Amino acid sequence: MSDKQTKKEKMQILKELREQYADSVAKTQAHLKEQQSARRLLKKAMKTGPMTVPEIAEAVNLPSDEVLWHIVAMKKYDLVTEVGQDGEYYKYALPVKEKKS
Amino acid sequence: MATNKIKVDALVVGGGISGMQTALDLADQGYQVALVEKEASIGGKMIALSKVFPTLDCCSCITTPKMSAVAHQENITLLTYCEVDHIKQNGKGFIVGATNKPRYVDMDLCTGCRQCEYVCPVDLKNPFDNNLGAIRAIRVPFSTAVPQKVVLDIDNCILCGKCQTACAVDAIDFTQQPEEIMIETDSILLATGFEVTPKDAKKEYGNGKLLNVIDGLDMERLLAPTGPYGHVLRPSDGKEPDSIAYVQCAGSRDETLGVEYCSRVCCMYAIKQAMLLSGALPLADITIYYMDIRAFGKGYEQFYQNAKAMGIQFIKGKVAKIKEDENQNPVFRVEMVDEGGSVVEHTHDLAVLSVGMLPSFDPTPIFNVPNDTDGFIMTPDQNFSASLTMIPGIFAAGAATGPMDIVDSIMTAGSAASAASAYIKSQQNGKEESSSKIADLQKESQHA
Amino acid sequence: MPEKKDLQKDNEDIRIGVYTCYCGGNISDIVDCEKVRELTETLPNVVVSRTDMSMCSDAGQAMIEEDIRKHGVNRVVIGACAPSLHEQTFRGAVARAGLNPFLYYHVGIREQDSWVHHGNHEAATEKAIVLMNSGLAKARLLKPLKPIKLTAQKHALVIGGGVAGLRSAWDIANQDIKVTLVEKSPFLGGRMAQLETVFPTNKPARDSLHELIEKVIDHPSITIHTQAEVKSMSGYIGDFNIKIEQISRGVSSELADQEAVIDSCPVEVSDEFNYGLKTRKAIYQAYPGNFPSTLAIDWENCTLCGKCEKVNSSGIDLKKKSEIIDVNVGAVVVATGFKPYEPRQGEYGYGDFKEVITLPQMIRLLALNGKDKALMFKGRTVRNIGLIHCVGSRHVPGIHEPQEDGKVNDYCSRVCCTATLHMTNDIRQHYPDVNMYDVYEDIRTYGRNHEEYYKQASENLVRFVRFQAAEGPQVFASENGNDQPLVIKTKDYLTAGLDIEIPVDLVVLSVGFMPNPIEELTKILKINPGNDRFLQEVHPKLRPVETAVSGIILAGTAQGPMNIQESVTAASAAASKVSVLLGQGQVELEPFVADVDHDKCNGSGECVQVCPYEDAISLEEVTINGKVCKRAVVIPANCVGCGSCVSACPNRAIDIQGWTLGQYESMVDAIAEGMLALEVSA
Repeated sequence: MSDKQTKKEKMQILKELREQYADSVAKTQAHLKEQQSARRLLKKAMKTGPMTVPEIAEAVNLPSDEVLWHIVAMKKYDLVTEVGQDGEYYKYALPVKEKKS
Repeated sequence: MATNKIKVDALVVGGGISGMQTALDLADQGYQVALVEKEASIGGKMIALSKVFPTLDCCSCITTPKMSAVAHQENITLLTYCEVDHIKQNGKGFIVGATNKPRYVDMDLCTGCRQCEYVCPVDLKNPFDNNLGAIRAIRVPFSTAVPQKVVLDIDNCILCGKCQTACAVDAIDFTQQPEEIMIETDSILLATGFEVTPKDAKKEYGNGKLLNVIDGLDMERLLAPTGPYGHVLRPSDGKEPDSIAYVQCAGSRDETLGVEYCSRVCCMYAIKQAMLLSGALPLADITIYYMDIRAFGKGYEQFYQNAKAMGIQFIKGKVAKIKEDENQNPVFRVEMVDEGGSVVEHTHDLAVLSVGMLPSFDPTPIFNVPNDTDGFIMTPDQNFSASLTMIPGIFAAGAATGPMDIVDSIMTAGSAASAASAYIKSQQNGKEESSSKIADLQKESQHA
Repeated sequence: MPEKKDLQKDNEDIRIGVYTCYCGGNISDIVDCEKVRELTETLPNVVVSRTDMSMCSDAGQAMIEEDIRKHGVNRVVIGACAPSLHEQTFRGAVARAGLNPFLYYHVGIREQDSWVHHGNHEAATEKAIVLMNSGLAKARLLKPLKPIKLTAQKHALVIGGGVAGLRSAWDIANQDIKVTLVEKSPFLGGRMAQLETVFPTNKPARDSLHELIEKVIDHPSITIHTQAEVKSMSGYIGDFNIKIEQISRGVSSELADQEAVIDSCPVEVSDEFNYGLKTRKAIYQAYPGNFPSTLAIDWENCTLCGKCEKVNSSGIDLKKKSEIIDVNVGAVVVATGFKPYEPRQGEYGYGDFKEVITLPQMIRLLALNGKDKALMFKGRTVRNIGLIHCVGSRHVPGIHEPQEDGKVNDYCSRVCCTATLHMTNDIRQHYPDVNMYDVYEDIRTYGRNHEEYYKQASENLVRFVRFQAAEGPQVFASENGNDQPLVIKTKDYLTAGLDIEIPVDLVVLSVGFMPNPIEELTKILKINPGNDRFLQEVHPKLRPVETAVSGIILAGTAQGPMNIQESVTAASAAASKVSVLLGQGQVELEPFVADVDHDKCNGSGECVQVCPYEDAISLEEVTINGKVCKRAVVIPANCVGCGSCVSACPNRAIDIQGWTLGQYESMVDAIAEGMLALEVSA
């Protein structure tokens, strides 16, 4: 790739690709929407302080396995931190200051 | 479409431990080797493991230096994210057509800084973590990946372009197309590895629907220091399990699944995991339900006896069924062989299926290499040249020729390298010995 | 001490990068690696101090390379696993970044710290800091060194003429490397020749074996010596000098009147080929069709009576001669094989009752009996056979008695389960009326197509009885009036631990593997057995066929129990390794050899007197400042860096490069200082 694309060209390429991959983009967008709404609920619930997975699940009315997955996804990218243990469960909290990654 | 051409003495297919070792053993002898791996990083199944029996070395301590050696060995051309499409006999050797799949990233520019990964909005189930953890649509496949470059999963991407904006070196390239590569080679070595029994293979064990019934590879990820949860937690609710039970032969020695063979590794990985679990969760009860413990390798029996001495429970029993109670705890129905076959129920927090090894890649359509009745590559001279396939010039190593552990895989890699190098030498010197031997074997097996 | 002042602590030219590895938790679970990093960061000359989950990964290595290139790091200290595992890996990384690889020092904080101080995190962390501090002290004094490059002999010695040795020889020779193969006994083929068919192919064992032997014999690059043993070895990888003692065969070539010659011999000794089921003469062949086909004299048992010479005077020479053959090889493959475990007197009735035999004996018995008549043993028809597994294997301390050497055979012999079941299927085929009882602990038919034998055995109505180690079977004489002479008593855990009694005509003990007795050879080669007495590889995954002595390679069952397929595979892997080492015609040795400072040396010669190696150090005439005087001179290729000369030198004129006295002193001082600092802070 010797010639770099301009910003405009990049936008155009993406636009064309979005048409080409319309189905998978739509599927992924739906997945993303679900992900974002779950994350909003989680973040809201977790404002009250550190919580365990079953506690969060109860607060947001989502299955606990899904909550666990969101928590580990957020933890991986520094959006949630683990703060100690409560019996058989670990507790998770939002980072003190939302770090910009 | 631009076509790259390379000429080598040997093409190794598969970049797991067997393929890497085969490639290194040949390259270190001075042969030119191309290594083709379909995933974005080499390392295979082994790099995802936690610690390995019987030495309990951390797995990356063994794998990552070999990955690094492959990347730095100047006689090896490493082709990741690349698949073989077709081969053609070319006199005494082969012409192989392969496709480099688009990563949508310029490999020369990408520094592996992961800025793109951090801005990507799409979280996906992480295949490297057996789908237990998460990863972004654009990512470095895992922390010790070789090459340490990102790859974009176009099928799970919303094409928002955030990654492109975030990349400091302008490495993201959405115009990338598949690239064809022609590899001219004297020999081919198949090190295409294995898959494990799917979790839904057995109805009796919940058909893959019970969240707290996981498999051995899942547990490897839970135990790995880079694992998805950072601890051993059960997938249904993140609880630290107090009682963990293993079901041996879950997918091996089972005629109902058409898998009559022993998978060789499951006893040892279960014992090893049990030992690691008793370190990670000192208060947990760990039970292994088994039929025969097959700790046959060097130092393995001693390892098994140590596990017994550590308090791990070994119960000779057949697990007939697993269901779950209202708290998603797996409930085992066990026929206790040592107690005359009485049937009891045991509840545990987490069940681990010691799944077996199945063939993964069928080489027949592309390489014309036939498989044996067990589905693994047929090796007609099992005792004297276990790496020979039915096609002269094509050899096989590692678990592509049947279940085996890492130690045995590494041995077969050395032996396949030896067979291949003799073949290459004989081809280049104009001798025909190996081919005539195969012809004899082929004749023999046709009569059989 | 004068050097002390020279310690380059304040020398700004020394820029050290310190790297502490988590080792995927192996270290970091015990040692607080971040604390090690924090503390080392503040030490003199340290430019960067970093940690990583696995420093040996490509990313970890790249980080070190980047620090060398971008931050001008010119000394590298890595705290990680034992240097035997990854010193080479990191030397490679350092060299790629353009720094001399010997400006890196490796501190073992796993084997020497985290693995041995479980449960004491604080002390382990302190120890790691002290060890790293001493590594830093050495690093400040490191000097660039050049590895010693030497021409390698493209010639390998293979010790052992069994299937593993033969296969190694054949594979090595096919890589254009010459091979000398020595076999202690007069005949090639080893244990495999004593088998009839091999699993999982069920092919006749000797047919395949003979095919290999013929190829090896015909190969122009392979020289074979039977009745030959290695007597001494000197040198190093690429250039070993080996003395082989070759005993004369006593028989010059194939004799026309072979039978008559054998018949003339009055000596009868136990026939080892048939595991003592028969006798043979002192002039003999192992079996009809063996290689080489010439008869041999068993010098140990021959009485030199001369009767055979009377039958054939031209072909036989009863004067035992021994000849020393010198070979100069680049590598040595040890394929000395195994012997079946010999049960103790009384172990399951062995030696007490003649009807108790071992599995290898049973295999020979079946071969000698022939297939078309009833199975007979010592004049009695055999109708009921009891097979007992794990004899001499899987022993548990406290339950089983230790062996003569005090060790317990705690390993699994891997082959016996499949071998036993393979044999039961053979018995069923040829003697359909024989009842078989298989008394086992676990059935380990793990290999490709091995499970089939287990299935067939069940279908063939072999009756399985399962014992537990603590309550193993016992063999007794039957009470009078019983048809069968013996009875096996055991608890059967397939029937809830019922006590059962099995009357049998023959008890077959599935004996395990023992390494052949090769103590003398291991001393000559300076290699070591492991706890299980089999020869020990450096690491089962990283260097699976190499020993601690570079250039000495393992093949086959000398390393541990293996079946034919596994032995052959291991032999080929060993051949690959030999080809890697010698194929390029050059080897590199570590430069950790003695170095003499001719200004301090006064030619006392004490170093020459204490040196245990040939031609490593000598007094030579050299010219210093126009004056001819005698000084010690080292031949690096012959020096192993043992340090004897260093301690003998009255003038401190000798140092081992890379391990100088100054470096040692600085390390010891750093440890002492570190301990003191910890005491003060406590």
